Amino acid sequence: MIVNEISPDQLSTGKIDASCRVPLLALFGGAALWLVVGLLLALIASLNFHMPEKFANCPLLTYGRVQPAANDAIIYGFAIPAALGVLLWIFARLSQTELVLPLVPIVAANIWHLGVFVGIVGILIGDSTGYAWLEFPRGGSVLLFAAFLLIAISAVATFGQRKERELYPSHWFLLAALLWFPWIYSTANLFLVAWPVRGVAQAVISWWFVDNLIFVWLALVGIGTAFYFLPKLAGRPLQSHYFALFAFWTLILFSTWCGIPQGAPVPAWLPALSSVASALTIVPLIAIAVILVKTVCGANVSCKGGPFCYLKFGTTAFILSGLMLIASACPQISCVTEFTWFGPAQTQLQILGFFAIVMFGAIYELLPRVMGFELPFPKFVRLQHWLFMLGTVLLVASLAIGGIEQGLKLQNVGIAFLDVTQATLPFLRASTLGLLFLLLGSLLFAANIFVMTFKWKLALFKSVIAAVKAPLETAEVKS
Amino acid sequence: MKGGALVFLATFIALGSSWCGFVLAPELQLGTAKQTTVLNSSDAYPVQRTGDATLGLQVYRASGCAACHTEQVQQDGVACDVVLTGAGKNLAAVSNLVSTLKLNGLTKDEADVASQKISVAGGKVETHIVATGADISRGWGLRCSVTEDFLYDYPMPLGSLRVGPDLANVGARLPDANWQLLHLYAPQSVAKGSMMPPFRYLFETRKIGNASSPDALQLPKELAPPAGYEVMPTDEAKELVAYLLSLRIDVPLYDAPFTPRAFTSKK
Amino acid sequence: MNEESKSNSCQRPEGEPAATRSTVPMWIVSLTLVLLYLGAVYFDHHGGWFNAQVYAPYSSAEELDAYQPKSGAAAMMSRGKQVYEQVCGLCHGNDGLGKPGQAPPLAGSEWVNAKGIQRLAHIPLSGLNGSLQVEGKDWNMSMAPMGAALSDADLAAVLSYIRSSWGNKGDAVTADQIKAVRASIGSHPVPMGGEQMMKMPE
Repeated sequence: MIVNEISPDQLSTGKIDASCRVPLLALFGGAALWLVVGLLLALIASLNFHMPEKFANCPLLTYGRVQPAANDAIIYGFAIPAALGVLLWIFARLSQTELVLPLVPIVAANIWHLGVFVGIVGILIGDSTGYAWLEFPRGGSVLLFAAFLLIAISAVATFGQRKERELYPSHWFLLAALLWFPWIYSTANLFLVAWPVRGVAQAVISWWFVDNLIFVWLALVGIGTAFYFLPKLAGRPLQSHYFALFAFWTLILFSTWCGIPQGAPVPAWLPALSSVASALTIVPLIAIAVILVKTVCGANVSCKGGPFCYLKFGTTAFILSGLMLIASACPQISCVTEFTWFGPAQTQLQILGFFAIVMFGAIYELLPRVMGFELPFPKFVRLQHWLFMLGTVLLVASLAIGGIEQGLKLQNVGIAFLDVTQATLPFLRASTLGLLFLLLGSLLFAANIFVMTFKWKLALFKSVIAAVKAPLETAEVKS
Repeated sequence: MKGGALVFLATFIALGSSWCGFVLAPELQLGTAKQTTVLNSSDAYPVQRTGDATLGLQVYRASGCAACHTEQVQQDGVACDVVLTGAGKNLAAVSNLVSTLKLNGLTKDEADVASQKISVAGGKVETHIVATGADISRGWGLRCSVTEDFLYDYPMPLGSLRVGPDLANVGARLPDANWQLLHLYAPQSVAKGSMMPPFRYLFETRKIGNASSPDALQLPKELAPPAGYEVMPTDEAKELVAYLLSLRIDVPLYDAPFTPRAFTSKK
Repeated sequence: MNEESKSNSCQRPEGEPAATRSTVPMWIVSLTLVLLYLGAVYFDHHGGWFNAQVYAPYSSAEELDAYQPKSGAAAMMSRGKQVYEQVCGLCHGNDGLGKPGQAPPLAGSEWVNAKGIQRLAHIPLSGLNGSLQVEGKDWNMSMAPMGAALSDADLAAVLSYIRSSWGNKGDAVTADQIKAVRASIGSHPVPMGGEQMMKMPE
């Protein structure tokens, strides 16, 4: 990279970016690996429907273990570490200080990835807790909780050192996320795994946790990230500060109550509250959509398949996934979509279509600055963008349409259940193809991250060798 | 907003409110639920599962059965059927009423009106309460699932996806242990077109000793093991089947009333 | 602040983003208030007001109470089951399959499934003595009048229960019918055999 005139601003920004280097690599490297592992496990799980005989003798590869392992690998292995890495960088940049306590996130990242490993292995050997999105056995979840708290300490310390006292909208979203996850994770683990509550109260707490993790937490981090990067990339200010505040308040107040499904075996007041909350969630959804459209509209950004395109696609996916969530909470619609593939379609759209893509955009934008050199495979960025777009559309559309058809057929008592299941097979085949595209895209992402890490380590190694060799040469010259 | 403290406060209020609403309140209301009685009877409900069935729930959890099966029956509505129990003296008038009036699928008020008409004509009637819904019509249960059904279960195996049929009433619907074992070993042999993967790791193929074991699976020819070998269910398979056979949702409760009939097995 | 880095990759903007200060549009605040109101109305109709016993599809405790089977049917069935298991099940089996050498089966029995209840009601009220054909098999045993000590309502409940259990498809029996049969038997019931039973009207 040729740099002619380095302004003092750029110099300090360069130092800020450099201070984040090792923590972010520790977080992103593991995240990239877990994304590949998770998508591979999801592919194996999906293959179970087309080739059930293949995995019949192996308890480790049975659908009921591999599918939760895949889900958890993607959310705990990829989504949260990527989120924390991006969050640390955004905090450092907005505070205009270097990352405070940089050693803490490095240690924490390693603890986190160890926890994910323990958790995934635990699920595959049959030790899962039995709760959706919380399957990690105790050892894994304790490690995750500790690691998150450590990273949160560093993030809050960096936030505390900020020079500009007024907060930018991204601050609210990301700070809220830092409090949100430990609270819901500890509650879920304490009341479901450590000292389980009795009976159906377990299900209610489980649904509360899943909604708050998959919808609210990912929305907080993803939208906070989008509110930072989109104005920056578009070269226009965010429209507007107070509207974003309104969106933030309505998002955290309403969408946290959305979890209970209709027709659940719980007293009627619980699903009724969730229905009302889901209807109210349209407000933050509209607000966020309007803010983003107004900010981005008319901007002249030429980059094809670059971070800007990622962020646009990701945020559109968020609006769609929110609409799917609201639709499935309507009693007239939920009697069709409940217990069908529509639910997983919405979840996958939120995690892979929205969050993963926003993270990719953010990481591709910040990583060259942090590392100090360009991406080793710039063409992969555009290719991955297309692969992920295609994969997401295939996966989500096929599962959603298949789910709606499945639901309509289940309502019709004349159709035998086995016929209904057989009819979903073509859609499942399409979704497997979608997963394949996503897996290929994630390999491209991993390639960029790993080669970048390797190049940096090589450069570091070379400079260490040079430093070691240098005194010898002068000594030789003297003599 | 200025200041992290305000953000912290906002987050605390928002998450705290939903924590109170969906963690604390359900724990106080549902987490303290106790045994109840079957409607119009003194039988306690639910009854603790037997030892094998409780272990079977853990096998269910470890194999991740809840990824494809749900254990919750949904009821879309409730209806009344007016049933004639005595014709009384005025046979002609009563039979005329019975053939002209709508007597099935009524609301409570409509049922009251119809029974009033027949009673006035001298007939004796009863109003039967019937749960309605697609799940009920498919024979997956006689009423919706309620809190009491899951009182002793840990972890709750509710499930959220129906790739396979609902299992809440499978103990009443498919009560044959051998069928269940065969279904676990080779699902496609007993349910054509099923997408369920075979759970062969729950069984072991071993050499026949002096005589073939009574527990050995009776397999059709194409799945039978080679001569001199038999397929035996492991303890885990037996526990899982015990758990499945303990799953029933066929007694009326105050929360989910219906007029009981002897349950006839449907698929 | 917007230094362009001289590289061959995309333009990389510098500087941190800012936000404008325009106010929140009024239409979205009104939308929120309208939705809050509608939500409250919805909860009022569907929430059961936090009652722990009201499950969907019931919308209130009153509606749940109205739909309780107050009529005799359900009460009768469970009372019938209770009494059956106490009094009859020991010999005829709780599954109605009978016990060879002890008592004939009731499941599928033509005596239980008959249209009229005269013959059936006589059996527990006066007892049996002599040979009797049940489902093609001959049963030559005696049965004490086990139902004589039961009240009309209880015996009606038991007979209703066995007529609709285990695949039997008979109608319910009322207490009045039992009362009539009891009256016709009188105070000294005589156990009958199969031939005598067949002579009675159904």
